[in-house]
Amino acid sequence: MVENNDIELSEAEAEQYDRQIRLWGLESQKRLRASKVLIIGLAGLGAEIAKNVILSGVKSVCLLDNEKLKEIDLYSQFLAPPDKIGENRAEASLTKARALNPMVEVTSETKSVDNLPDKFFQEYDIVCATGLKQEQLERINNACRDSNKKFLCGDVWGMYGYMFADLVDHEYSEEIVQHKAVKRGSDDAEKNARETVSINVKRRAIYVPLQNALSVDWTRPEMRSRLRRGDPSYFVMKILLRFKDEYNRNPDPAKRKEDTKILLRMRDELVKELSLPAGFIVDALLLDVFGTVSGAAAVIGGVIGQEVVKAVSQREPPHNNMFFFNPVKCVGFVELYGQ
Amino acid sequence: MVARVAGVFDEKLTEAIANSKILVVGAGGIGCEILKNLVLTGFPNIEIIDLDTIDVSNLNRQFLFHKEHVGKSKAQVAKDSALGFNPNVNIVAHHDSVISNDYGVSYFKQFQIVMNALDNRVARNHVNRMCLAANVPLIETGTAGYAGQVELIKKGLTQCYECQPKAPQKTFPGCTIRNTPSEPIHCIVWAKHLFNQLFGEEDPDQDVSPDTADPEASGEAGASALSTEGNTAGNVERKSTRAWAAESNYDPEKLFTKLFGDDIRYLLSMENLWKKRRPPTPLVWDNLPGKDNAPAQHSGLPDQRTWSVHECAQVFAASCSALQKDLKSRADGDHLVWDKDEKSSMDFVTACANIRAHIFNIPLKSRFEIKSMAGNIIPAIATANAIVAGLAVLRAQAVLRGDINSCTSVYLRPKVNHRGQLFVPEKTLTPPNPKCYVCAPKPEVGLACNLKQLTLKDLTTAFKEGLNMQAPDATVEGKGLVVLSSEPGETDHNNEKTLEEIGLNDGCALLVDDFLQNYEVRVRLQQEDEEKSWRLVTDTDAPMPAPKEDEKPANGSNGSDPKPGPSTSRTRADSDSDMEIIEEDDDEPTVKPPKRRRTEVSDEIVNLC
Repeated sequence: MVENNDIELSEAEAEQYDRQIRLWGLESQKRLRASKVLIIGLAGLGAEIAKNVILSGVKSVCLLDNEKLKEIDLYSQFLAPPDKIGENRAEASLTKARALNPMVEVTSETKSVDNLPDKFFQEYDIVCATGLKQEQLERINNACRDSNKKFLCGDVWGMYGYMFADLVDHEYSEEIVQHKAVKRGSDDAEKNARETVSINVKRRAIYVPLQNALSVDWTRPEMRSRLRRGDPSYFVMKILLRFKDEYNRNPDPAKRKEDTKILLRMRDELVKELSLPAGFIVDALLLDVFGTVSGAAAVIGGVIGQEVVKAVSQREPPHNNMFFFNPVKCVGFVELYGQ
Repeated sequence: MVARVAGVFDEKLTEAIANSKILVVGAGGIGCEILKNLVLTGFPNIEIIDLDTIDVSNLNRQFLFHKEHVGKSKAQVAKDSALGFNPNVNIVAHHDSVISNDYGVSYFKQFQIVMNALDNRVARNHVNRMCLAANVPLIETGTAGYAGQVELIKKGLTQCYECQPKAPQKTFPGCTIRNTPSEPIHCIVWAKHLFNQLFGEEDPDQDVSPDTADPEASGEAGASALSTEGNTAGNVERKSTRAWAAESNYDPEKLFTKLFGDDIRYLLSMENLWKKRRPPTPLVWDNLPGKDNAPAQHSGLPDQRTWSVHECAQVFAASCSALQKDLKSRADGDHLVWDKDEKSSMDFVTACANIRAHIFNIPLKSRFEIKSMAGNIIPAIATANAIVAGLAVLRAQAVLRGDINSCTSVYLRPKVNHRGQLFVPEKTLTPPNPKCYVCAPKPEVGLACNLKQLTLKDLTTAFKEGLNMQAPDATVEGKGLVVLSSEPGETDHNNEKTLEEIGLNDGCALLVDDFLQNYEVRVRLQQEDEEKSWRLVTDTDAPMPAPKEDEKPANGSNGSDPKPGPSTSRTRADSDSDMEIIEEDDDEPTVKPPKRRRTEVSDEIVNLC
């Protein structure tokens, strides 16, 4: 839990954060200002998350990436300038990331997550991981869990994207707006005057780790019934994580044709393996999963950024536990997996 | 070659993007995000237009701007920053209003898609008409707090921005503002009117003195009040408040005594008003509540502390002299414009609203709260803007790829709905409203008014404010007689004549057109003896509210319908008054109420286990 430090906001902070304080309140802003965030993976999605989190006014952000900036990143990565191709992506992003909000301390780390001890991740209040393999995600998630730290992960492939959240045991307050009739004096000119009163309710949400959400037993009757009314986006994520696992890379725009074939084959295998209804995962969902499309990165990065704000400010119900963006239908929705 | 890597999109979309030219209207929170997405995606030709300059309260979300850019042109700085992402893109920035002869139908025709990232209805209506006239698809966006929406508008295919009447803006009867306030917002509106009376553009509809025409006050008590009028200081003659204040050299004590003492005593003499209401209590400058109290302990922002009445009086005095000094330093006839971000203006309204609230037993508010209400601030945040802009650019891609029929409206909800959806697309495109007075093949609308009273000048106002025209021309149908001309001087000599005097009668039809918007509408005149001003009547017979009123509470106030009154308080929202493109968190709710969607409490999503 992020401690709300009692130091009042400076005049400069109050001025810059004026609009968001009007929306989420001063207490939330103070909690934000006390929180330390780690962002892993500085491709397009990582840059979008970093932008939103830095603008919100957290205490510090560490950008972690061991990869070099590639030409394809420039399609969606706006923190690293084009002349830094070949340099480390996190380091190349520092100057612009800092310029977004000089009141936030922004640092970089260039080691691979595999070469960093669990302790490293536990230093942060919340970790947002992008661009990693399932195994790496699960390991970092468990490290965070062990010290009761919050974990989010997500990815964008082409126009498609997802997010997963493990906020462990999360307490938050939710504002409930109530309408009540009011009476002023004996004769009120406005007879049916009503006033909206908002009250804050304390709530708690329990989360599960990523491995639970990714190892759902689809033979269970309640999961079968979910298929009937459901959206196939969960399985698109499964296919893309498998692709990454198997080929040690994401689908490559330069191999659009070959990789599409592989993806459709993997789709058919998954359908068979889980006995999914034929035609459930339409081809269209696997045709636009190349590179990172800027609009999609903005959408998923916006959702993840807002979840970071909700998680550290402990205000408003966070999504539990997966969010998917289906670009074919332009629908974005939350589903609970692994419980 | 702008698109740097082949294969991200299919060939059709890659080519369509390479040949596209996009106009982005507005470089605020959503505009910055849209521009970033377009540039990164490799859209080669982009124009962006915004007449606003950068303010420090923009920096929490308009990420193309930094502290050193405060005061500079949004469009220009947005262009310079975005070129850093991809220097090969051709961006043209216009630091200008989109409502201008420079941006006519032929200008709009050069674009494949226009993307609106605006915050006010006037500019939205205008761009809507330009895109209809140019037959260019328009992607309309808006956010308010955590919520937002993206909507495609295409002539003949979807409804236009003006197909559905917009929710009427909250209005307050003049006598509520001037005589019987019962809520903080009434006092805030009064205080803004007072500002204009003393320092701003004088508007007879913004009188702040007791309203003796209040029907409630009539009867014997009212008459007795009127008969004693000659004995009551300050109300003897209808001298303008400005002239009166100038005579006393804006002496704070004298102003205070008139506004919060004498005028209140005069109101008390209108006894009928207080038969069933708690009467107000006049104040005396030397003896104000809170005078001897030490300031209370306060945690939170300094602006969030509610001042005592005594403190309000001190702030009143200080802001009065600061504003007077400002006014004096200007040329004769010039005036101040109220601005929520200008310290003395905001101080003055906070102090006056609270002093008046105290007099009428209304709860006092902090400067922070009053700023939200007086400035109609709808808070905007980075994440919602990013999501809406991302969706808008994905929709633009779909339009370019030829999938325009799939581009239904999408709503970003503040919380998920009962189906767990956070972004909710409509199932189908909403077809045009055949009775729309803007996009129907033969647009038509009724204008209810009293022809014996409505002057030609009022008629111009009705066309400008009601029909959102910029420079209307009107002729009588069938006769070709020119009633109104947008050419200066041509019909001005008739300005004060009533419609009846120039020969217009009930049932008469006018052909009204706006050359810039390439928009013509047939307006049927309907005689209504009772109508004090004018009112649009659409063919569906649902009366359209005339936008007489821009005062509306940003939040918190109840939603009772505007009531007819002997006079209504008319206040232009400050930022709308010069039809500028402004930041999307000011003045206008940018999100139309989503149709058919209820707000469900979505406890089921956060399952407690």
